[in-house]
Amino acid sequence: MLPAPRPSRLESARVRTRRARELTRETLRNPLTLGGLIIVAAFLLMAACAPLLTAANMPDAYQMPRDWQAIDAPPGTPGHPLGTTSTGGDVRYGIIWGSRMSLQLSLLVVGIAVVVGVTVGSLAAFVGGKVDEILMRTVDVFLAIPELIFALAIAAVLGTSFTNIILALAAVFWVKYARIIRGQIIHVKQNEYVDAARVIGDSKLSIYRRDVLPNSVTPVVVQATLDMGTVVLIGASLSFIGLAESGLAEWGVLVSEGQAGVISGKWWVSTFAGLAIFLWALAFNLLGDGLRDVFDPRSERR
Amino acid sequence: MSSEVLASRALKKHFPIKEGVLQRVAGHVRALDGVDLAVRRGETLGLVGESGCGKSTFARCVAGLMEPTAGGVYYDGRNIATLKGAAFREYRRNTQMVFQDVFASLNPRQLVKDIVGRPLKIHDEASGAELLDRVVELLQGVGLGREHLYRYPHQFSGGQRQRISIARAIALQPEMVVLDEPTSALDVSVQAQILNLLQDLQERQGLTYLFITHDLGVVRHMADRVAVMHLGEVVELGATDEVFAGPKHPYTEALLTARPELAEELGSEPAPLTEGRTPDPAQPPEGCRLHTRCPVATPACGWEVDDVLWWLEHALPEAPVGVVARHSPFHAELGFPDEGAAAAAVAALEREGQPLRPALERPRLSGVRVDVRLRETDPAALEDAGGGHLTRCIHHAPAQRRRGALGAPDAG
Amino acid sequence: MSVLASVEELRVDFHSRKGVVRAVDGVSFEIRDQEILGLVGETGCGKTVTARSFLRLLPTPPAEYAGGRVLFRMDGEMVDLLRVPEDQMRAIRGDRIAMIFQDPGKALNPAMPIARQVGEVFLQHRAAELLAEAGLELDSVDPVGRAVLRRALAQRSRVPERVALRLPPLRGRWRRLQVALDERVARALEETRIPNPRKTMASYPHELSGGMKQRVMIAQALACDPDLLIADEPTTALDVTIQARILELIRELQDRRRTAVLYITHDLSLVRRLCDRVTVMYAGRVAESGAAEDIFARPLHPYTRGLLGAIPARAGRGRRLTAIEGSVGHALHAGDACRFHARCPHAGPICAERAPELAVRDVREHAAACFLHDDRVALDPAGRPAAEVGG
Repeated sequence: MLPAPRPSRLESARVRTRRARELTRETLRNPLTLGGLIIVAAFLLMAACAPLLTAANMPDAYQMPRDWQAIDAPPGTPGHPLGTTSTGGDVRYGIIWGSRMSLQLSLLVVGIAVVVGVTVGSLAAFVGGKVDEILMRTVDVFLAIPELIFALAIAAVLGTSFTNIILALAAVFWVKYARIIRGQIIHVKQNEYVDAARVIGDSKLSIYRRDVLPNSVTPVVVQATLDMGTVVLIGASLSFIGLAESGLAEWGVLVSEGQAGVISGKWWVSTFAGLAIFLWALAFNLLGDGLRDVFDPRSERR
Repeated sequence: MSSEVLASRALKKHFPIKEGVLQRVAGHVRALDGVDLAVRRGETLGLVGESGCGKSTFARCVAGLMEPTAGGVYYDGRNIATLKGAAFREYRRNTQMVFQDVFASLNPRQLVKDIVGRPLKIHDEASGAELLDRVVELLQGVGLGREHLYRYPHQFSGGQRQRISIARAIALQPEMVVLDEPTSALDVSVQAQILNLLQDLQERQGLTYLFITHDLGVVRHMADRVAVMHLGEVVELGATDEVFAGPKHPYTEALLTARPELAEELGSEPAPLTEGRTPDPAQPPEGCRLHTRCPVATPACGWEVDDVLWWLEHALPEAPVGVVARHSPFHAELGFPDEGAAAAAVAALEREGQPLRPALERPRLSGVRVDVRLRETDPAALEDAGGGHLTRCIHHAPAQRRRGALGAPDAG
Repeated sequence: MSVLASVEELRVDFHSRKGVVRAVDGVSFEIRDQEILGLVGETGCGKTVTARSFLRLLPTPPAEYAGGRVLFRMDGEMVDLLRVPEDQMRAIRGDRIAMIFQDPGKALNPAMPIARQVGEVFLQHRAAELLAEAGLELDSVDPVGRAVLRRALAQRSRVPERVALRLPPLRGRWRRLQVALDERVARALEETRIPNPRKTMASYPHELSGGMKQRVMIAQALACDPDLLIADEPTTALDVTIQARILELIRELQDRRRTAVLYITHDLSLVRRLCDRVTVMYAGRVAESGAAEDIFARPLHPYTRGLLGAIPARAGRGRRLTAIEGSVGHALHAGDACRFHARCPHAGPICAERAPELAVRDVREHAAACFLHDDRVALDPAGRPAAEVGG
């Protein structure tokens, strides 16, 4: 008597996790990618544990605590290992809590951009014809404008609150995803398995969900990873120009505040904040590149 | 239940050709140009032809993947374009398809159990444990097993993937399966396995097959009747044995040149196509569509102005010729660079232009122009050459012969 | 008939992340003067790898020539093509041994007109004759001009040299060379029955049909009258009606030029019509070889029998085809055993232990690598090869 077969849902889950593990192993094979992942993990940890690492400032944790006794203190000053700004803001605090801001910014911006972009792109790909033309030409126009300038313009109109910055950046970034997903869908639709699903009698929505989307989504994932880095760069640039509340515990603001001091030898504010921005963007870039390498040959290999 | 599972009537499918920045429609590729074909219950109808003949387009129209430009596909007597709701679902359940590309016909992100089980789920035939059992049964029916349930397509060989495709196609116990070159991408020994499997399944489940291929050996082996397609039309249709014993169309014979061992009953080696103008699928010839390359073309086969042009280009390559005024496909004025060239062209036509020349009325020379007028021809129609064996060729089609198409016009 | 080329115990390995695969494992066969030898097998049998070894066209890595020799007769001597220096190999390619490929679209450079592509072969191997045909005596040219012309012939002109070629006094000479070259190209194209050679010469590959492109490739291959033509599935990508004419063309040219042809294909019925002798390969080894008629009339190796039985329409309509169960799959790692034994209906105990050698059966040199046909091996009561007889 054969043993009862395992419940199928469990078995499916087992197979899928095995595949996910293989994928992860593939991704980590590249030392650069591994490095990127480690740095990202470090930042995520830092953001998550911010209240544990430094006491949150009251009443607003995202405002730098001012120590009027230590203005322009160099790194190594007791109580301020990374120094202070010209208004007594603790650089270390800024870096740690700034990571939270960066995380929020990238997740929200990329999240909104992906949802909007994929929706618009899918619409264009499925409806086709004039709708496709109009949507894609709009996308082209958006893409022609440099990201920073565009974000600047929108932020200038909307105002400089954090929410507005997020909206401005999302408005800039969504177009990429629209184009990516549209191209992928058009390509994937040519595969016979999509036809097969139609012949079986499946509904258009179900085909989209099970056949088209899962097979089109990989470049979107790669791009999203890369954009997590870019968003922070651009966000920091906006803050640097002054489109953010002053005193905010945010990397770009810190760079801006420390900029004047650089000439007179007070290097630490801008440098540490700049380093944080650089590492964040670099880490996501490495990770994204590694993902692309893993996904590309896989999508080639049938 | 009618004796015909699926039929097409005057089926046409034209694809627009878009040109220019504004994507204007410049013409249409006439992939299917009036196909009448019926698949009888329980038979295997073979559809052969080369690339571009329209057989894949036909398969897609019949399976409901493409909407025809004109004409209709009829399932059980009703036009599928008019079917809605339950009736349409009924049609879908009973018309399934197996595709040529074994790599692209299975979703790479789905497990085999989901691929094969999906039709059953969609039509609410089974769920849960019962679904799994049905899937295992189907897999076993195509020579796979329980151990293959939780695997991804890329873990299988080409032959195995095709088996999975077949399992999916017969999951709903359809009446009819359209097979679009199911073994063309497979090795000979694997092809044999799949063909045997298809035959077994047909016997066991009483399936009807529309089998599309370019391989004459396969069609001879599998099909009860065979239809030969060329440039969007069926040129010959008949019982397989009869068609192979005595093909009644030069195109069928030309196909046999690649496998002469299949045409042993022919008195001599089959005749290949000759050098000639390859017709433009957007502007097929008015008369017989094969005449430009046909080894036995007659003057009555529909020679056109473009053929004269092609002939002149090849006979006198150094003399450029252009069309000054085109009145119809059969009547135009040609322009030459000088009178000498024009005269030389006329002379050459007089001397050598067989079988074109008899269709040409005396070309009228006036200066640098030559007025060229050819005999107008009707499209070649598909006719019964005896016992249900249909052909379009004038050599075998009795009515066209009677019309006196060959040689001098008849009184009647 | 003397032997033109001979493959001896060729072994080719492929290195990948997952290990080493021996794609060709001890393959030996001969090509004789003026014959058409068919190399037949299914996917993974190693026929393409073997063919490309003749011209050393495999990228190494990941390929590696692990053993054996590929001998070719040059000026009366047998030379091992695997060990010949690269510049000599370049001189051989296109001149003594030529190859045509499966997909003519991919083998022709889309950015070059046909005249230039076919012309390249002549420039590479027949520069001296071109000069003679153009009636040019290089000695009558000044040293600088001579250098410029020589470099132009070797296709090594730099930009200022190309300008110089368009100015007198070199212009006239260069044009005469071009005319001579074009004449040769036109003649080569005519031989392959291309209807309007001059027009084709001015065209780009994408303007030609599949059949025409294949003819161009054949013209290019035969341009310098090679001793051996290797054809790697040249008609697989073409329509059926064109296939027949290309095959006809190959036969005709082979007849006229007395070139030997190594014809690679998976299509057995094609081989039967075209080839004089046939070598059947399976999983990197030779399974059977002999005259084409013998192989088809009396196939010895169970694989060949299976393959022939699998051809539809040979079996007769409706009758089951011989389906060789299983797949090639792991045969490539079989080690010391007959590669086919796992799928063979006649496999016996000895088949799993040792690899049979290719042994000649009769005077027409019909040979099979199978213990069923090995006199030294006794069959057990079930008719399967059991053990070796005698010492």
